[in-house]
Amino acid sequence: MNRIWAIATNTHREAIRDRVLYSLLFFACVILVSSLITEEITIGDQEKIMRGTALGAISLFSSVIAMFLGVSLVYKELERKTIYTIASKPIPRWMFVLGKYTGLLLTLGVNLAVMAVLYVVILGLRLGMPDPSLLAFLGLLFIELMLLTAWATLFSTYSGPTTATAFTLAVFVIGHLADDIWSFGHQADSVWVQHMSEVLYWVLPNFEVFNVQAQATHEVAIEASRIATAAGYGLAYTAVVLIASMLVFQKRDFK
Amino acid sequence: MTGTPPNAARDLAIETRGLQKIYYSGFLRRPSTGLEELDLEVQRGEVFGFIGPNGAGKTTTIKCLVGLQYPTAGQAFLLGKPIDHPEARRKLGFLPERPYFYQHLTAREFLDFYGQLFDIPTALRRNRIGELLTRVDLERVADVPLRQYSKGMLQRAGIAQALINDPELIILDEPMSGLDPLGRRLIRDLILHERSRGRTVFFSSHVLSDVQSICNRVGLVAGGRLRAIGSIDELLSEQVENVDCTIRAPGDVTLTGQLVATQGEERILRLPPDQLDTLLDQVRQCGGQVIQVLPNRKTLEDLLLTELGRNQPPAPPEASS
Repeated sequence: MNRIWAIATNTHREAIRDRVLYSLLFFACVILVSSLITEEITIGDQEKIMRGTALGAISLFSSVIAMFLGVSLVYKELERKTIYTIASKPIPRWMFVLGKYTGLLLTLGVNLAVMAVLYVVILGLRLGMPDPSLLAFLGLLFIELMLLTAWATLFSTYSGPTTATAFTLAVFVIGHLADDIWSFGHQADSVWVQHMSEVLYWVLPNFEVFNVQAQATHEVAIEASRIATAAGYGLAYTAVVLIASMLVFQKRDFK
Repeated sequence: MTGTPPNAARDLAIETRGLQKIYYSGFLRRPSTGLEELDLEVQRGEVFGFIGPNGAGKTTTIKCLVGLQYPTAGQAFLLGKPIDHPEARRKLGFLPERPYFYQHLTAREFLDFYGQLFDIPTALRRNRIGELLTRVDLERVADVPLRQYSKGMLQRAGIAQALINDPELIILDEPMSGLDPLGRRLIRDLILHERSRGRTVFFSSHVLSDVQSICNRVGLVAGGRLRAIGSIDELLSEQVENVDCTIRAPGDVTLTGQLVATQGEERILRLPPDQLDTLLDQVRQCGGQVIQVLPNRKTLEDLLLTELGRNQPPAPPEASS
């Protein structure tokens, strides 16, 4: 456990000493703040538009940071050959992958916390304290990030950052269109297409399961069972993808 | 990789049997041999030099030994355990060729990180880090990020991480590469210090003079095969090609050997070793004096070139006109 934690904290330390991360986080915060203070240019239900835009910014930027860090997570170790000194130590490769992944989650958690605190403080000053549905939004968003990062880690264990970015982006987009895949298949006459769409629907991740942005924007209570189902699905799926990453990494030769 | 080493009773530091590595590359996955049935034995407590030209298989061997690559066939053991055994890894120190380290860490953080990978308790880790930083002369820059280090300083930091677990077996891939004479001397002293503590050091190098001066034994690898192995004396003693004999004798006496130089009354004669007795008899009979007998041994470089020459394909016959 100590060894996994050592790798995790080193990964986290590397990320927080990376200027690119700060640029992304700064940009996210600028968008977040501007969405909360530009009520004059919005029309309609100003409060909801402000909340919706800010939560959308948190969700989008968290995902972008997760992809940015995730795709180079393992590859960077291979490219810089830092893996040479680690793989020769008494640390199984699965532990290395788990440590890197944990370190990344630590960084994503800190980023999400920074954005959430900014959101709560600014929104609290202008509109009063946000509804508890915000917690559900943040919790499920974090689980979505866990799953997205697990995919990025999997791609990072066997391909370069460009390919891994393309694959992770594809998973991200498809994951948000999973319901459309189901609908598309069931509009077709062909049974074969219907079955195919069902297989794809169940195999590919469904990121919309974690999306409670509308409820958080409208401050509508979210059922506990909905949260529990989404969390269970997300954690189980993440575990499967992470195990696949470890198996792929276990077989690798470091050239 | 499991099992017990074939020579378990001899308690070797490194043992490989028929170690083979084949790489597959390109669209058609064409095979190329990195290592071909390597049999190697390294005794405990010795400094073993692993030499050979570029692409000979030195780094491939090391990568297989330390778990960076999986051998295609064969067996390998470190300290009597299969190479992937946690106990073997726990007692192993490794410095890769042209090491790359986490640039964002300071030397102290860097060593602490590797110490944690060995589960070394915090207090012991701190002590050992302090000792190692002093030994590799990085104490004054211990809290400076590695990205500001010179190549020599990085190499020393690398050596320190290889020693963080006080290893019984230390494997160094080209530790002298690209270092200035001072840096090479420091690495050489560190290796000799570890040898004096009974540790085994296995290192590959292109700097043959260093290998010759500090190694107990040497292995010469070329084309993925071990071409020669033995102590420096064993490998080079048979290679005394001729002897330079400085004598003082009357100028009109004919002596065996080829005259290389004259310095006043002294003559330097070069002759095959088996003719030395004849020359000494001649000098005694004419009342002369032997000043110096100097065997011209082959250097490791000569040995390497000879072995490589042996493995060159024969030149194609010249076309007759």
